[in-house]
Amino acid sequence: MLTGQFGQVAKGVFFTGKGGVGAREGFMFALTLFPTLMFALGCINVAESMGALRAAEKLFRPILKPFMGIPGATGLAFVSSFTSSDVGAVMTKGLAEEKMMTDDERTIFVAYQYAGSAVVTNTFGTGAALLPISVLPVGIIIGIIFIVKVIGANIVRFYLKWHATKNRNQGGAVNG
Amino acid sequence: MAEPTAAGMDLQKVKPSIVEEFVAGAKKGFYIGAEMIAPAMVLAFVLIEFLNITGLMTIVGTAVGPVMAVFGLPGEAIVALVAAFFAKAAGCAAAASLYAQGTITAQQATILFPACVTMGTLIGHFVRIVITSNANKKWHGLLLCIPVIDAAISMWLTRIIIHFF
Repeated sequence: MLTGQFGQVAKGVFFTGKGGVGAREGFMFALTLFPTLMFALGCINVAESMGALRAAEKLFRPILKPFMGIPGATGLAFVSSFTSSDVGAVMTKGLAEEKMMTDDERTIFVAYQYAGSAVVTNTFGTGAALLPISVLPVGIIIGIIFIVKVIGANIVRFYLKWHATKNRNQGGAVNG
Repeated sequence: MAEPTAAGMDLQKVKPSIVEEFVAGAKKGFYIGAEMIAPAMVLAFVLIEFLNITGLMTIVGTAVGPVMAVFGLPGEAIVALVAAFFAKAAGCAAAASLYAQGTITAQQATILFPACVTMGTLIGHFVRIVITSNANKKWHGLLLCIPVIDAAISMWLTRIIIHFF
């Protein structure tokens, strides 16, 4: 791994020491995560600047409708939400205001974005403490979060569909 | 002659080089570490130490043990999920601390990993995502439940996937 390794202070012990507890141990543990965090976010930034988001948009755009019932126009907001919570949310608001998506589609899309929010940045950033412990590669962890985000969006999708059908039937009965 | 050079310099300012991009990202990583991870780590390690010293950890662990067993986790793991509710980083740090103390195994810490990220910072992100995107108020309650449901599914899913590794 390119993140390398800290040297040992004594045999089998690196600079955080051994047997620490409480606030001091928490702080020392946090110190060990800085190199990984800086390296990972540096790489994410380079990937973004090299057009990774645009490439991902091309890949995801055609499958958004069948997968989550949201229009392909949300493609850029969708891929932006991998690395930023705020950019995705602001773009979603704009898309709904420009009538590029319906109110229900916005609710489904927000359900997707809300869980885990910026999944790539958060897994490397806020999840940094668990990266060295995890028995699964980080790509699989991101994959799992992505799958449950899509499942969550579909729960909302089908709930809204069911709710609309129920209301239509009830409305019909009242009117009839 | 001077003008094209100035325009060229402007263009350079607009499009930073790969090295500059990497450095900017690494700087962002440093700030995330200093502003989010380190405070969350101190909080989580202190919280768990407090629960251990007072003996509350054993009580909490026994009380919620049966619920957490559904996900293949000991009762004490609930501390990580509660911490995650407030901040993703605190949840992950709490799970790391539980692992460091030998309360949970590496497999169990891995089960908690996607769950802490998925349902973490529930209120903070509600404002940043649900409110910012101006989602229909009628569905706010439903949207608030979704990350928690997703987190539960992620724990089952991770538990299954770990068997293949």
